[in-house]
Amino acid sequence: MVYQAELLNDLQNKAKTIRRESIRMIKAAGLGWVGGSFSQADIVTALVFHHMKHNPKDPKWADRDRLIVSKAHCCETVYAALGEAGYFSKAEFDKYGKLGAILQAHTERTAPGVEYSGGSLGQGLSFALGEALSARIGAPKDINGRPIPRFRVFCILGDGECNEGQVWEAVMAAAHYKVDNLVAIVDHNKYQSGGKIVDRIDWTPVAPKFAAFNWDTVEVDGHDFNQILGVLERADKTPGKPHAIIANTIKCKGVPSLENKNVHFCAITDEIYQDAMKALA
Amino acid sequence: MKQSYVRDPLGEAKPMYNAYNEAMADLFKKNDKIVLLYGDFPRGAAGEMATKEYPDRVYDVGIAEANLITVAAGLAAGGKIPFTHCHGIFAVGRAYNQIRQNVAFDKFNVKMMLLNTGMLWAFMGGSHQTIEEITALRVIPNLVLFSPADPVETKKIAQAALDHVGPVAIRIANPAVPTIYQDNFPFEVGKAVTVTEGKDATIIATGISVADALKAHDLLAKEKINVRLLDMHTLKPLDEAAIIKAAKDTGAIVTVEDTSILGGLGGAVAEVIAENYLAPVKRVGIKDRFGQSGTIDELKEVYEISASHIAAAVKAVIKRKKK
Repeated sequence: MVYQAELLNDLQNKAKTIRRESIRMIKAAGLGWVGGSFSQADIVTALVFHHMKHNPKDPKWADRDRLIVSKAHCCETVYAALGEAGYFSKAEFDKYGKLGAILQAHTERTAPGVEYSGGSLGQGLSFALGEALSARIGAPKDINGRPIPRFRVFCILGDGECNEGQVWEAVMAAAHYKVDNLVAIVDHNKYQSGGKIVDRIDWTPVAPKFAAFNWDTVEVDGHDFNQILGVLERADKTPGKPHAIIANTIKCKGVPSLENKNVHFCAITDEIYQDAMKALA
Repeated sequence: MKQSYVRDPLGEAKPMYNAYNEAMADLFKKNDKIVLLYGDFPRGAAGEMATKEYPDRVYDVGIAEANLITVAAGLAAGGKIPFTHCHGIFAVGRAYNQIRQNVAFDKFNVKMMLLNTGMLWAFMGGSHQTIEEITALRVIPNLVLFSPADPVETKKIAQAALDHVGPVAIRIANPAVPTIYQDNFPFEVGKAVTVTEGKDATIIATGISVADALKAHDLLAKEKINVRLLDMHTLKPLDEAAIIKAAKDTGAIVTVEDTSILGGLGGAVAEVIAENYLAPVKRVGIKDRFGQSGTIDELKEVYEISASHIAAAVKAVIKRKKK
């Protein structure tokens, strides 16, 4: 699949914008989750600004597609994308992580557009499965007797997060019920809070685990919009199974001085800020 | 003195899960938002009916209680009203964080059936007998916690759980319990039911223990000791007014539950008494011990929660009353 250069260019610019806003947000808050927030930024951009059916003017529209960010600490690029899309005023960015803010330090449904209050890892895929089932119950059926779901649910998981057993409870149940309006995207940035995935609990390679549980599974470069859009579109055309997209990504992608280092949770120094703004101009 | 809506003699004994299923069969057909979720748990009459007639509104997620509770939260986010079914110990023990974070945190409209809960589950032993659910759940904000005493009240609570928009947990013990109430008994969420009226002391009981407390009332009446018996069917929000009034009117309180007295109903009542109106309190319930195999009668005896233990506690607490 090849997408028009104009679309890809637009998305690249959006991704730069939300990374820049995120850097400002984290600098103002004092701390933030640059690593995982930036590795998922292109996936979030592709979903929010192109693939998903949603309406920032009607955040509770019943048939909107859902984005469940299970690794809810990676909130800055999500907030930046939702603010940029028009769900709330960008003035909220400056209040991120402060007392009374709608933008809490882990995503919460207090912010318009946020679908899931996370922070306890390993639970988002179960929540996404419940939402996906709700879209199928009572839905009209196609000629093969399969429900035509009212909406799709996209769930971003961390690769470290998949240490949690509940992820695999949800994986089993989603496959059993053939929930094909559920798309799990693993942000495979190769790091977790304490270090490299392979040095903690090495469960790589990731893709065969989902495939073994009977998920439709593909692997992509999570920073290549042409590939990301292609696999998202492919999921829509592949009925009968839930979909796993293993997105190979780079932790802190977009901030050259931090890329591929285990920067999970940090402050933005003036040096990092200059480096990031130059790279994201 | 038994209230007019209390059956005398008591009516037919049956498991409260059966009564819940009778109510649910009706509620399920009338409200198409209800979805039944099971964690490899027997479905009962309503679940069997629903599986046959409405297959897309019934899901079993297998032996996976964490997933069970969070899937329910997702269904509620999608506008459904899920009722989850699993053993009480595994809901509270294995999915506590899911109840807290995925359900209560965002006030999702999820109804959680804590089945076979409490100490009084014959044979199964300590791994399956729940002693902590009242203590653990009453500290979770936004949650309503029910604990019906008989089949009639169980049906009222099934309806009340559906009517309440927000998270609800319902404690259902395993054994058959006698029918205490007439169908028209006064039931209101958050208001204790006065089962008997008396001036010498008040017994505040919940769940399966209410029937034993009523037996204790009868034993005491023979000795001319007249007790008020309150059925605390709603553990959260707690009917503090009824507790304070009981302390003022009768001057002595005994609490009865089939779970831990540490932070359970006993702890909750003691908190209210300590802050509002002092009266001697004695807590009948599980005293910081795990369960074990045995018959219901043996368990009541060993864990000191039988009618005779309740009656003895009432006499002891009356002795401590202010003269």
